[in-house]
Amino acid sequence: MREISLGQYYPASSLIHKLDPRTKLLISIAYIVMIFFIDTFVGFGIVAVGLLGTILLSKIPIGKILKSLKIIIFLVVFTVLMTLLFYGGDKSEPIWSWWIITFYKQQLIDCGIIACRLLFMVLGPTMLTFTTTPVQLTDGMQSLLKPLALIKIPVHSLAIIMSITLRFIPTLSEETDKIINAQKSRCADFESGNIFKRAKAMIPILIPLLTSSIRRAEELANAMDSRCFKDAKHRTRMKKLKFGWFDPISFILFCVLFFVILWLKFNFLPFIDLRAFGWII
Amino acid sequence: MSFIEFSNVVFYYNNDEEAQNNRPAIDGVSFCVEKGEVVAVIGHNGSGKSTLAKLCNGLLEPDEGEILVDGISTKDKKRIFDIRSKVGIVFQNPDNQMVATIIEDDVAFGPENLGLKSEEIRQRVDWALKSVGMSEHAKGTPFKLSGGQKQRIAIAGVLALKPQVMILDESTAMLDPLSRKEIMDVAMKLVREENMTLINITHFVDEAMEADKIIVLNDGKIFMQGGKEVLTKYAELASIGLEAPLAVRVKNKLNEQGYDLPTVLTDEELVDCLCR
Repeated sequence: MREISLGQYYPASSLIHKLDPRTKLLISIAYIVMIFFIDTFVGFGIVAVGLLGTILLSKIPIGKILKSLKIIIFLVVFTVLMTLLFYGGDKSEPIWSWWIITFYKQQLIDCGIIACRLLFMVLGPTMLTFTTTPVQLTDGMQSLLKPLALIKIPVHSLAIIMSITLRFIPTLSEETDKIINAQKSRCADFESGNIFKRAKAMIPILIPLLTSSIRRAEELANAMDSRCFKDAKHRTRMKKLKFGWFDPISFILFCVLFFVILWLKFNFLPFIDLRAFGWII
Repeated sequence: MSFIEFSNVVFYYNNDEEAQNNRPAIDGVSFCVEKGEVVAVIGHNGSGKSTLAKLCNGLLEPDEGEILVDGISTKDKKRIFDIRSKVGIVFQNPDNQMVATIIEDDVAFGPENLGLKSEEIRQRVDWALKSVGMSEHAKGTPFKLSGGQKQRIAIAGVLALKPQVMILDESTAMLDPLSRKEIMDVAMKLVREENMTLINITHFVDEAMEADKIIVLNDGKIFMQGGKEVLTKYAELASIGLEAPLAVRVKNKLNEQGYDLPTVLTDEELVDCLCR
């Protein structure tokens, strides 16, 4: 529980870890957009090669990354099932049928594409959170969102709020454990009964947690005031974000990848016509 | 002029005339703290000790009377940050004073608020962590540390502002005896080496023995004030629910039994006395 504030950060010293968080954030966002342009298995294959390269560079064991996919397996299965049951697309080539269920070729391809899309979509941000600490992420976001300060959005305050939130998650989860144990030792029952009964049993946990959080907030506010906190805007930072030599290289590599994906989708290069290779599309 | 001057300070938490039981938390308190002095403020729970700390750096404003810090009134809103960078407070619970998940980031919070340059902040953070002996933990997280270590980081966080006065507001109350000693050692080292003025607010009477000046608070009023001799007043301390140091208690018990021992304060003095 105590490591929760580090998210799933995997400490290692690699080129990917050393990338500026802004680079990683921008690439991750563009990556998600890119995934939506892919509608062929060849496209996913190309992205998979790029992703594999990144994983190898980051020195994170592949098993660890696959494990993080566990949480979305349900979503993938659910989506695939829905596509199988309520398919309204191209029904020209039936492959297999039983009773009132018929599977078509295009239907199966669509299922595969959707599953790939979901999995790849999660893999990108997963690499981001594996290689970047929450603090770096907050700093990166704050820096990227700076222009929003022009339209009076308090970016700096939001960044501070976020880093304090991350700071207090382990403290509060520890406190929750303590309260649960205290109530259990006074014979509170959290495990039996139906869902309403169990929800009601949570009240003796939530109320002490709430009061203690308010008390903590007050003490924290006093401590922050004592340490000369005026407002988030006029603060300076000890650690400044800096781009290294690998940042431009990774940007270029990603742009090349994006270009290839767009080319596969829109076939806009005059000298090679992708339609000549029918199997790609 | 003294560095901190309280003159006839009165403070109400609930400044409502009609409220029942409307007793001031601080009631007509006057005292001075000189530069480089070690002051102990003792009193039982609810005697107004912590209120006193918060009044010192303008977290609370006095309802009557005035508090001057280095000649600046704490009511002066424009210069409140001058006061706060001169007077740092370390609070009781180290967990509730930390703002960052990495130790050096947390220590940097204060100087970052002052708007200093990145190199200067780095220098101050390294210096502050070294002063409290936590340099090797700089890049770690505070979650795995002991209470004493966390409190040392809290001290470093205040130290990085380069204050002239450090107030320990029951900073050792949540710690085990070993960690308590650790914190007091760090604080006394700062007094010696950095000429820090220390105000130690505590309910451990033995911590007060290291002080030059002792202020005993009771119900928001100053009950006794003076040098170490305050601690030898067994009966007076007992009357407001405080326990005199061990040596003083032993001496008193022995005198009750018909011995005639002189006034003692520390264990060593008592031993010397008894051996004679």
